[in-house]
Amino acid sequence: MRMRDYFQDKLGLLALSLASLLLIVLICLAFKVSGEAIWAISCLYLLTFVALFCFSFFKKKKFYTDFLQNIERLDKKYYILETLSMPNFYEGKILYDGLYVINKAMIEHVKNYELQMEDFKEYIEMWIHEVKIPLATLALMFHNHNEYDKKVLEQLRRIESYLDQVLYYVRQEFAEKDYLIKENLLAKMVNSVLVKNKDDFLENQIALEVKNLDFSVFTDSKWMTFILNQIINNSVKYMDETKEKKIVIFGSEDDSSIYLHIRDNGIGIPLQDIPKVFEKSFTGENGRKRSKSTGMGLYISKKLCEKLGHKIWLESKEHEYTEVIVAFAKNDFYQVVKSS
Amino acid sequence: MKKIFIVEDDRSIVSELEALLIHAGYAVEVLKDFQNALEEILRVLPDLILLDINIPYLNGEVLLQNLRKVSNIPVIMVTSRASEVDEVLSMSYGADDYITKPYNPTILLLRIQAVLKRSEKVLDVVSFKDVVVYLQKGMIKKGDIEVYLTKNEMIIFNYLLNHQNVIVTRDELMTDLWNNNEYINDNALTVNISRLRAKLKEVGLGEVIETRKGMGYFLS
Repeated sequence: MRMRDYFQDKLGLLALSLASLLLIVLICLAFKVSGEAIWAISCLYLLTFVALFCFSFFKKKKFYTDFLQNIERLDKKYYILETLSMPNFYEGKILYDGLYVINKAMIEHVKNYELQMEDFKEYIEMWIHEVKIPLATLALMFHNHNEYDKKVLEQLRRIESYLDQVLYYVRQEFAEKDYLIKENLLAKMVNSVLVKNKDDFLENQIALEVKNLDFSVFTDSKWMTFILNQIINNSVKYMDETKEKKIVIFGSEDDSSIYLHIRDNGIGIPLQDIPKVFEKSFTGENGRKRSKSTGMGLYISKKLCEKLGHKIWLESKEHEYTEVIVAFAKNDFYQVVKSS
Repeated sequence: MKKIFIVEDDRSIVSELEALLIHAGYAVEVLKDFQNALEEILRVLPDLILLDINIPYLNGEVLLQNLRKVSNIPVIMVTSRASEVDEVLSMSYGADDYITKPYNPTILLLRIQAVLKRSEKVLDVVSFKDVVVYLQKGMIKKGDIEVYLTKNEMIIFNYLLNHQNVIVTRDELMTDLWNNNEYINDNALTVNISRLRAKLKEVGLGEVIETRKGMGYFLS
């Protein structure tokens, strides 16, 4: 709050005061008051005006300066009220009370949505679990009666994969503590994903090379297998039909992290699309060409990785390869937990 | 014959599970009275229990806790709830394994077999006809003739040994191999089986692995 702006705002008041001073002077002249007295009255009047002006300015200055500064500095602007003390002048109180009521109404409004969201999330989770029961029944039925229609099982597996996508989307978006981090073997998690997708690999004649996975990392194995499943499904989806199809999965480590690499020799990703593949709903050139892409898999994977504290990125060269790398930080704290 | 007890309230999944397990050579009983689940289990005394978490009256985790106070019967939790927390909880209550729906039937059978095996004495040496099989060493021996099998051949032979007198599909063999980190393709499986046959012939076991066309293999 600056003096000049405040002064400009009060110009009207100044004009009014000067007009009333002029009136007083004129009345004094009419009553033939002596010149010295008129001077004295005028000076006193102006002095009082300046004093009043300064008093009211400094009284408000602290409150409004804090107000503006804190708004500027706050990351979450709606907490502004918490940072201010109740002002000691009338307009300030009106503003303060007004803000309080607005804030409260907004909090209630947001809370309402939060509850609705929470309900929705619970409903979706429940619904997904329910749908998985008939899905399991169907898989058993086909296994028991139709002497192995692999194509049907493959479609069931696809439905399951899409269901999982929704489930984990809901979880990462709205749940804070839906995971549990413990020590897991990379080899075991990779194996479970590969066995699950076995028919896909065999059907599409994709060779697998799995090596150097004897690392244990701290992660949530359910979330991690979901992420691996998304990555591997992408590799299978974007294979190059003209080449000997192959996926190589291996681990590596340096001082700070353990890395899991999933490298395929598929169609790769155009250079301009690489920075965007982890964005929500991004399908890119490959997604458009091959049609069945929701653009959600990698986005959800990245979000889950962020929550778990892992890093995920990819390297690719069009027509040659795509390599997705997940980095698990080695943390001294984990070592302490491990040894205790 | 091993007896498996199914605790699950979805009727259609029960009947399909029953068919699957009977076909795989197990005896099956199904829980009907959920109110007295524990008593029922102790009356039947199965070799293994497939336990769903979402069941009427007591939920599966509580039932498992109660069961563990009185019995060590192996339990596999089968559920559609797929979170790490559920799994860790179940394991801490004493489940032997945890499978989420929808499961691949072949994998389910493998897990059942693995749990049953763990609860028995683990045999390192078995005999088949007049041949001794050293599972850990990967060797078969008849008199003075010793023949070494590769890891893949051993996995296949071991699976066939555990499923004598039933037809073993190629998919089952493939799943078992993949489960053991051997990611081979169809051709490699065919090659491995013919090599295994040749090695078995060296110890006088020609023709023990029969091919049932369009169905699988049969060890007799």
